[in-house]
Amino acid sequence: MQRKMSRREMLKATAAGAAGLASGLSAATVLASDAASGFAAPPLQDAVTIRFQESEQEYADVVAAYKEVAPNVNIEFVNITGVDHAEIASKILAQLAAGQPVDIGYAATEATQLYAGEGLALPLKNRVMDSQADLAEYFSDVSPVLVETDLYQDDLYQLPRDFNAANMYFNTALLTEAGLEVPGEEWTKDDFVEYAKAMTGIGGGDSFGYGWTNRLWGSWTPWFFVNDTNLLAEERAPGGEWLWGTFYKDDPNAAGRGGGWLWPAPQANNPAMVEALEFVVSLTEQGLTPVVELGGGATLQGFFTSGKLGMTPAGGFWSGGLTNAGMEKGGFDVQFWPKWATQRHQLGVGAAWILNGGGNEDAAWEFVKFNTRKDVMEMIGFFGERTRTTPVRRSMNNEERYSKTGPANWHVFYDTLDKRPDTGPIPAPTFSIEETNIYTRYTSLATSGEMTPKDALDGMQSELEALYARNPSYPPSN
Amino acid sequence: MTSYTVQPSEGPRRNALVRWLAADTMNGIKRQRAILGYTFLIPTIVGLLLFIVGPMLFTFALSFFKWNVFRPPEVIGFANFERLFSDPRVFVSFRNTFLLVIMTVTMLEVLAMSLALAVHRLASRALGYFFRTAYFLPVLLSGAAVAVTLGYLFHQDFGVINYYLGKVGVPKIAWLTDSNVVLWTISLTTVWRNMGFTFIIYLGGVSSLPSEVLEAAQVDGAAGWRRIRSIVLPLLSPTILFATVTDIIKMLQFFDEPFIMTRGGPGDASRTVVMMMYENAFGNLDFGYGSAIALILFAVIMIVTGVQFVLSRRWVFYN
Repeated sequence: MQRKMSRREMLKATAAGAAGLASGLSAATVLASDAASGFAAPPLQDAVTIRFQESEQEYADVVAAYKEVAPNVNIEFVNITGVDHAEIASKILAQLAAGQPVDIGYAATEATQLYAGEGLALPLKNRVMDSQADLAEYFSDVSPVLVETDLYQDDLYQLPRDFNAANMYFNTALLTEAGLEVPGEEWTKDDFVEYAKAMTGIGGGDSFGYGWTNRLWGSWTPWFFVNDTNLLAEERAPGGEWLWGTFYKDDPNAAGRGGGWLWPAPQANNPAMVEALEFVVSLTEQGLTPVVELGGGATLQGFFTSGKLGMTPAGGFWSGGLTNAGMEKGGFDVQFWPKWATQRHQLGVGAAWILNGGGNEDAAWEFVKFNTRKDVMEMIGFFGERTRTTPVRRSMNNEERYSKTGPANWHVFYDTLDKRPDTGPIPAPTFSIEETNIYTRYTSLATSGEMTPKDALDGMQSELEALYARNPSYPPSN
Repeated sequence: MTSYTVQPSEGPRRNALVRWLAADTMNGIKRQRAILGYTFLIPTIVGLLLFIVGPMLFTFALSFFKWNVFRPPEVIGFANFERLFSDPRVFVSFRNTFLLVIMTVTMLEVLAMSLALAVHRLASRALGYFFRTAYFLPVLLSGAAVAVTLGYLFHQDFGVINYYLGKVGVPKIAWLTDSNVVLWTISLTTVWRNMGFTFIIYLGGVSSLPSEVLEAAQVDGAAGWRRIRSIVLPLLSPTILFATVTDIIKMLQFFDEPFIMTRGGPGDASRTVVMMMYENAFGNLDFGYGSAIALILFAVIMIVTGVQFVLSRRWVFYN
């Protein structure tokens, strides 16, 4: 009987070739061909080891609980960090190339379509439909905005675990010193500018009203979202009825949703995009914003914590982060992003994905499903007393969760989904890593004054068009 | 009558081989020595094949393919090289790398040699040990940690360096976000971290200068700059060649500091060749193109090193 080769074996064999001789290349070709043609997973063994891309510290209680349910399953942790999710995805792919794949990976929106589009992530539609009874309670507690983000071409590739929409954080000490209060939900871009001016130059004389980091999520992305545009044109793929009709038939916020997001073409230099970039560059020129750097936001967190920064974009993850950095409850608060042409927010959703063809799909699926239970999600370390990312379950975003850390307006995190259901994902097609590189590169040229916003966006558009030309299979035809 | 057939045994033949190898003749001894030598070399040869030659050959082969890990590799001939030679970003990254090498190696060699000469002249042995330790300490630090820390110090608005410059009336400098400044910032950071190693090389060279030559020069009246230019530098020339060649090879592979401090920005102003290679291979999943860049960098390092050795015949004195 001919035994078919798993993707794990294929990747290991490929890595062996990389470390060995050039002749390995031809072997890798054959193996990769097998992988591309699809193959059956071997039957579950008595003892299964699942390589899980997570921190052992965060998941110790979950794994201990799962050991009670499935004593034959051993979870091996693979901890991968990066300044942003695009970098984490790069490292995951480097591990894959080295023949060390994970059975369960973690992907934020930046990499969801990358893994799905390349056939790396296991499609979950059939498994979800077979587990309706197990998952009905979970979906009833999770906004359709989040689930739609993890759909791709009418299939579901992840069950959302956490999310972060870019809301506006306020340093309340600077607000008070400026004689201001946290604005109302309907505040506008003009109000924002007044706030930024009022909070600049106080706090010992060297504070800035507003700061942001150059990356895809929470960069100047929220500004073009509220200016009713996007870096890439967006549309909904057809499909999704199986999901919406089964789990969300009574939810009005699920109406009109489809089979996942697609970004069929770049539109970086449309007038609304130019206007948005000109706006954020003008903040730097006026001295309201400090120099804009690339990175994960750690620098901004330091400045915010030490009272040098009045406002910045962040999600629920910052409530725990700021508390860990020494801020007291009441030292910060949060509000919706200000209105401009719209008040549409941008978000990213994080969740586990299962390696397609790794051989451990069944065991991995059971573990992933186990993780959707509310009592299990409560055990995850970063959903503990100091919330370091926002749980996707509505019921877990409650007074008690934020009672020790704040912010006072903690409800804004989930209201961003329930009250602003047009909230959408950051644009992240299958080639989002390269897209992010182009986006941040030209953004840095504009914010450093080396190029005008218009010229920078023209250059960005030109490179994005070349990127789309190199990826003619995106968006996939149905 | 019973007949017996005698089968030829392996014994005599094996004995003949052993006898040949163990022959107590000049040729036999030569053979034994050769076998012993090759036996000792085997681990090194296997290591070289497995970890250096193999990956190099694989990289060479990969540069003719389009491969993203997920899909089978596709032969595309010289397309990666054609793309490389028409990609302006690759040329920018080579330019940045060469500028960084020139700035960094110049500063490294001048500073390290000057400090080595100064420390060597110190009368106090304790002070000498103190300075050697102090200069070498940064070498022991992680490149990433140094880049992160100095990134904070160089921050335009909140950094300590601009704070103190401001105290003496110098306006804020965009150390990490101005195209005209950023390479200097990265170069200074690299010099600070790497100078200790080059310093130790020069200190070794200075310590082994023949005292009789130096004393003779002193008797002949050579002092100060004249003594350094005409006596010390020619005597140090082999050390200068070694330090320069190793530093240039190392600096042509610039990665840690620009990757962590600026991510190559603003735009591509501080993007180096190795960053381009990494981003294309592991970020964009274009392993073929990344391999092509790696090969060109390899060729450049070979050429630069070769040129250095050829030119060294004119200025390096071994006797």
